Amino acid sequence: MSFSENIRLAFQSLRANPLRSILILVGMAVGIAAVLHVVVLGELTQKKINDRLQKMGSNVLRIRPGFSWRHGMRTGEKRVNLTWEDSDEIVSQSEAIIQTVPIYSGSGDVSFQDKNWSTQITGVTPAYQNVNNDYPAQGRFFNMQELSERARVAIVGATVYEKLFENKLALGKTIFIKSKPFLIIGILEAKGESWSNPDDQVFVPITTAQERIFGVDHLSSILAQMRSETDYDEALFDIESILRRNHRLSKEAKNDFRVRRQDFFLATIQATNQELARFITVIALVSLLVGGIGIANVMLISVTERIREIGIRRAIGARKFHILFQFLTESMMLGFFGGILGVGGGIVFNHFYIDAGGILPWSWIYYSFGICAGIGIFAGIYPAFRAANMNVIDALRHE
Amino acid sequence: MPPLIQMQNVGKTYQTGEVKVEALAGIDLEIQKNEYVAIMGPSGSGKSTLMNILGCLDMPSTGRYFLGNEDIRDLSDNQLSEIRSRKIGFVFQAFNLLPRVSALQNIALPLLYLGFSPKVREGMAAEALEHVGLGDRKQHKPNELSGGQRQRVAIARALVTRPDLILADEPTGNLDSKTGEEIMALIRDLHTQGNTVIMVTHESYIAAHAARIIRLKDGKIESDLYSNAR
Ligand SMILES: Nc1ncnc2c1ncn2[C@@H]1O[C@H](COP(=O)(O)OP(=O)(O)O)[C@@H](O)[C@H]1O
Ligand SMILES: [Mg+2]
Repeated sequence: MSFSENIRLAFQSLRANPLRSILILVGMAVGIAAVLHVVVLGELTQKKINDRLQKMGSNVLRIRPGFSWRHGMRTGEKRVNLTWEDSDEIVSQSEAIIQTVPIYSGSGDVSFQDKNWSTQITGVTPAYQNVNNDYPAQGRFFNMQELSERARVAIVGATVYEKLFENKLALGKTIFIKSKPFLIIGILEAKGESWSNPDDQVFVPITTAQERIFGVDHLSSILAQMRSETDYDEALFDIESILRRNHRLSKEAKNDFRVRRQDFFLATIQATNQELARFITVIALVSLLVGGIGIANVMLISVTERIREIGIRRAIGARKFHILFQFLTESMMLGFFGGILGVGGGIVFNHFYIDAGGILPWSWIYYSFGICAGIGIFAGIYPAFRAANMNVIDALRHE
Repeated sequence: MPPLIQMQNVGKTYQTGEVKVEALAGIDLEIQKNEYVAIMGPSGSGKSTLMNILGCLDMPSTGRYFLGNEDIRDLSDNQLSEIRSRKIGFVFQAFNLLPRVSALQNIALPLLYLGFSPKVREGMAAEALEHVGLGDRKQHKPNELSGGQRQRVAIARALVTRPDLILADEPTGNLDSKTGEEIMALIRDLHTQGNTVIMVTHESYIAAHAARIIRLKDGKIESDLYSNAR
């Protein structure tokens, strides 16, 4: 008896009880669809993270003021201690740092005609776009001349663009930032959410931000670009010694600033995602297990219902392994069709992620069929053994 | 030539819980090729038990059974299965056809397990169905056939492998007497065509077709007579 004949035989039997067969397929299908979901999500987040890493580069450090302490407790008070000199001296005195960007950032309202939006106003230097690999999608960034002139020019992030202009023409228009008119010269590309929303920002020359908008002369942070990733230790040592010297810290005093790699938060996101993926994987495995138990259950019922058939087949010459094979084929087919259904579901779900770049890998589609058929076979082993080892006479007599 | 069937002191004991039932108690029996044997006896006398052992569906508890040259005791389960499909055609009182499968497929089933290709199976099954007079019922399922027709399909299935031995356990037991007569005529034809037939029956007029009548009682052979009529 050939394999294809066995398949045909199994088909016949499964068709005899279509509803039951289909119900049991569903369990299997849900399991494998969940597995595929995990796979796509995993691919997607990894891709996102890779994209961000590539854009940002992992060679950028962010320097912020340290926390304020009182009686050994952290307070919410902001420290005001980073200066233009700090920024300039870090780049001029450390070989490991090739570029710095002084930043002052504060919140404020921006408005265009009757629309108003509360956002983050960030003053930077033109170097910002190179350090962050973040160039305007439309228009341009401001230049050194505009920086030194404290020009009223602004580059808006994608969210602000959408809120104020509903994605209509914005270049050359005038918006009001904290009631002062600014010319829009550039619009940034959308970067998507991470911790905070980086698109919900307006960039202006830092001179303008400090003197015309906020009236301060300190910095809220400094970006420092390293010569290469591997210079981290050297860069950190240099920054510490320069800032401690500039801030006149005594030997015992703690740093009054913090230095963090820009890609640090990505690692955190990655870890969180992995945690989530692990959780979904467990659920997926459980539903696969349940699917497998379902198949085993149905096969046991099927064997019990078909004792007479087994007896007849054995009586006219079926060997034990013919019967074993027959039932194993049936359970394998149950698993396999569950797999088809699940992969179908997985592909449908996948459409929600395709735009974002989460594409179900072909290899996993093949694996799924293999996994499902495997579970089917495994679930069928015991019932099939029972069927094959039945006493012929007892089976024939069975009512 | 050795007898087709040789039984030496065959016994069969069933154990149900504490109770032991001796269904067969020391059967000695020889049956030659081309014989037509009727087995009679009251209900519970061990007729079916004997047939099942003859048909290699069951094993004797004691004694020896030779089919052809082979001692059944020495055979593996696979070899017994092969004997059932190749050498024996069994006709049951309850027909024992697969309900979801067409007449033709039912008949082809033993050939499937013997490894014939689908084409050959279909040809042989069609021929056998023709032989029992149901050439026009190939695609009918058992529940679309009358009792007599079902038994014909079952007989065709028993014939299809051209077995050495045809066993029929009360083949007319579930049929009315007219249909029973037709089935008996068919079985008698099989014998005339050169088959060895062993048949269990209650009816003496049916047994009268046979050349040899074995009577069982309490698991023993009570009498073993050759009819002079033939
Ligand atoms: N599987 C079995 N388990 C227990 N007892 C059985 C079994 N099969 C037959 N018997 C007993 O063996 C005896 C002979 O049965 P059987 O061969 O079927 O008789 P017959 O066919 O002549 O009516 C009966 O007493 C019956 O109850
Ligand atoms: Mg009986």
